[in-house]
Amino acid sequence: MARTKGYPEALEKKLHDQRYFREDSNPEFTKNVKAISRTIAHMCYQCGTCTGSCPSAPRSTYRIRKFMRRAVLGLENEALTDPDLWLCTTCYSCSDRCPRDIIPTDVIMSMRNLAFKRDIVPVNFLKTVTAIYASGHGVPNNDVNRAAREKLGLTRDPPTTHMYPEYMPGIRKILDHYKLKANADRIIKEREG
Amino acid sequence: MSESGANHKFAFYLGCIAPNRYPGVESASIKAMKKLGVELVPLKGASCCPAPGAFGSIDLAVFYAMAARNLVLAEQMKMDIALVCNGCYKSIWEVNHKLKHNKDLRDAVNEVLKEVDMEYKGTINVYHTAELLYNDKFIGVEKVRDSVTNPLTGARIAVHYGCHLVKPHKDREFEKEVMLNTEHPMWMEELVSALGATPVEYRNKMQCCGAGGGVRGYDIVHALDITNEKLINLKEEKVDALTDICPFCQLQFDRGQIEIQEKFGVTYNLPVLHFAELLGLAQGMSPQDLGLDLHGISCEPFLQKVL
Repeated sequence: MARTKGYPEALEKKLHDQRYFREDSNPEFTKNVKAISRTIAHMCYQCGTCTGSCPSAPRSTYRIRKFMRRAVLGLENEALTDPDLWLCTTCYSCSDRCPRDIIPTDVIMSMRNLAFKRDIVPVNFLKTVTAIYASGHGVPNNDVNRAAREKLGLTRDPPTTHMYPEYMPGIRKILDHYKLKANADRIIKEREG
Repeated sequence: MSESGANHKFAFYLGCIAPNRYPGVESASIKAMKKLGVELVPLKGASCCPAPGAFGSIDLAVFYAMAARNLVLAEQMKMDIALVCNGCYKSIWEVNHKLKHNKDLRDAVNEVLKEVDMEYKGTINVYHTAELLYNDKFIGVEKVRDSVTNPLTGARIAVHYGCHLVKPHKDREFEKEVMLNTEHPMWMEELVSALGATPVEYRNKMQCCGAGGGVRGYDIVHALDITNEKLINLKEEKVDALTDICPFCQLQFDRGQIEIQEKFGVTYNLPVLHFAELLGLAQGMSPQDLGLDLHGISCEPFLQKVL
């Protein structure tokens, strides 16, 4: 850390502590969160309106305010390895009420994106990707539903990629461009064997 | 406008859960909207929006590209999109809005779409059918009321607005300003009244259903606990049914009640209907035409009251 000009060493140490510099503070993390979330986490003054509005907070240890602080301080490991990161229902109540016009939900989304880059991701999220790669749908059709659709006078398969599978190669090309399917498959295999 | 011809035409973006779990929402939307002068044309080859929580959490860049592909399909038809799901609205409307206003995102998306011979141009708009029903530029509450042949008189119906249609309101751009009120909105209650039913308010009605953000898949008990809190608040008001405008919320409340029964040992038996299904009923469609028998929780007690 650069010496603050003119301060005695004792004061410098105190300021160092107060500014909360830590070994695992990564300024790049703060920048990456800002770039992906496209919101202004550094404007947060820690009022806690977000946590007070959060439906996940009363039933878990998930505290959105804490994640906002981690974003500002660059506490990458602490943020990305916390399993609570995945308890946000993305209801945007915090974002609706934030007096600093920050979108905390998008800060969480950007941290999840960054976690995925380090293979930190619950498997259920990856299975949505593989389902879309297989059929174009996150929740695909099934035989019970096909029969029901027919009774309602609808086509057995909806006029989506289900009825027009010729659109699937395009979708797979987009997902392959980002190597999303390959990464999802690799992580699922590592977890589930 | 002639009686037979539609004065508005939209590309009907279906999403996943409506066509693949609650097909009645799809058929009711097409039929009910037609009676109101809005024709919904199939959006051929559309895929998952993709799911804003489960998919967006993985990689937002891919999320933008995948949503843009669906938008381009509608651009090629030269038609605005209409959809029936809040989650789809978040993906399709918001990505459209972001790409229209951010050149860097648009360029990045178009670079990928070029590989599949597509280009996002930003020439169309995206609407939720609830918005079309409420906005008199398209339909409006009065026309909805005039289309009712079987008023749902006597039924006490609560509304679940869900999250992603209206929140965060500072990013939304509804023509009807009351739709930007996310603390205590009443516009859906106006629509419920138009069907002849009695709208009922309940504690914390704007709370999330609990399913979003991939939480339903990540920690089902956590998700159901949020749903359970809403069901407790609904039970206090002794409502006959809950209406929603999002098939994913509907899945969480409807199938979720069965899971709550298994995991928490609490039974509510509260019928949950998408507003399109409710509108279909009020316009005289039969429960069979609406596929209400596919619901996890029987709609019978509610139907006996209104039919």
